[in-house]
Order: sequence, then C-alpha cells, then structure tokens
Amino acid sequence: MSKDTPKMICPKCRVEMNHHAEKLVDPVNPKEAAQVDPALGGLIEEMHCCPGCGTTESRRTR
Amino acid sequence: MADVRPLNIPVILGTTRKGRMSAHAASFVAAELAKRDGVVTELIDIAHLPLPVDDAGEGIKDPAFSAKMNQADALVIVSPEYNHSFPGLLKHVLDSCLKEYIHKAAGIVGVSAGPFGGTRGIQNFVPVLRELGLVPLFWDVNFGNVNKVFDESGQLLDQGFVRRTDKFMKELIWMAKTLRYGRQNFPLD
Repeated sequence: MSKDTPKMICPKCRVEMNHHAEKLVDPVNPKEAAQVDPALGGLIEEMHCCPGCGTTESRRTR
Repeated sequence: MADVRPLNIPVILGTTRKGRMSAHAASFVAAELAKRDGVVTELIDIAHLPLPVDDAGEGIKDPAFSAKMNQADALVIVSPEYNHSFPGLLKHVLDSCLKEYIHKAAGIVGVSAGPFGGTRGIQNFVPVLRELGLVPLFWDVNFGNVNKVFDESGQLLDQGFVRRTDKFMKELIWMAKTLRYGRQNFPLD
C-alpha cells in the first residue's frame, strides 16, 4: 500500500484499521480482467482489521 | 496488550447429509469449547444456510454467515470424509467468503465411519483453507469409527476424546489469540 493511500476507517469504531494482508485474487469479470497487474497475474485485495473491534474490511488496489 | 473481548470461535458443521454422525461430533466440540474461559462459540449448521446452488463464490454471500465469519477469531470445521474428501457443500459455503477469513486460525475435526477419522479428507481440505487465507492448525481431532464413539443420542462413549480435544483447543486458542493480535496490530508494511 502506498504511503499516499488513505487508511481504511472502521465503519463501527471510526478508527484507523490495520492493513495486515494482501491477497492475489483472480478476476471474475471483464472489467476486473482489464485491471489485472501483468507482473502478478491477478488483482491485489488488501485486508484491513480494526484494532478496536476486530472488524475486517478489504479493498482492491492496482 | 490484553484484549478484553472474548475469543469468538464458531464451530461449523460441514455436512448436510441425513443421519449425519458429524452432528454429534460438532455438538461435543462446541460444548467443550464453551467451557473455556474467554471463549464464545456457536454451532453453525451449513444445512441451515440459505445458499443457492445455481451460482457460486462471493456472489452468493449470505450476510448473516459473512457477519459471523467477520466476527470470528478462529474456526472449528467439522468435516466428515466422503469418498476420500470433504463434502462439496462445505466448500460451496466456505467459498462464499474471503476477507472474513484472512489470518484466522482453523482447526479441523475429521469424522468417518471407518478407522481413519477423516484424515484423507483433511489432507485434501488443508490446501483449500490455505487458499482462503485461513491458518490450519497442526492438531486435528479424528473421530474414526464414529458409530462407536457416540451412541444414537449423541452421548460420548469414548472419554479419550475429551483429552484429545483439550490438546486441540489449547493450540486453537493460542493461535486465535496470536493471530488476532497480529491482525489488529502488526502492519504488513
């Protein structure tokens, strides 16, 4: 994750979440296929966890 | 840093087959888990999840199941062995989520009518859990010859499983605590 990328905010606690994992996922439709990172062969999904309540959220990055 | 929230460790009963003996195993494990201080659990029966079979993957995510997986700190998955593997409907259910599982411990309870306690199914199951981002334990509980382990009412006939399950749960809880701390506090970068 770039340092310029904003932190995810927990929808319950409104605190910054901890970015603890990234997973390479396969595209499931043409729109996603167009966004595949050719070096990695897939899309990166970032996983974030709230340090307060443990809620997990994710988002796609390029 | 102490976390005051109890560990949330649901037990997933991974078969829908009528007459399933795995239900007795799942009830036993859930009851043992509920005895632990600082742990909350519930039994999730995949037969009761409203997932369609005319689609698959995250497109069929059930909001209630997703929320339970999100809140979970670890999972216990009770899986019988069918034709040397785990039930297809169990994978159908697990495939409906992803972010909810990442960096969470998963303990497997194998069940079989034969002597091997689901070990062949577990061998096939572990790579699936890994791909889902779960962290499988190196302890399993294996209910082989399950018709001799529980009676028809679900009463445990072999008390040796209490100690085996205790060892499994100690490892599960250690992993659940450690991974929760890591998820919440250690950044990837």
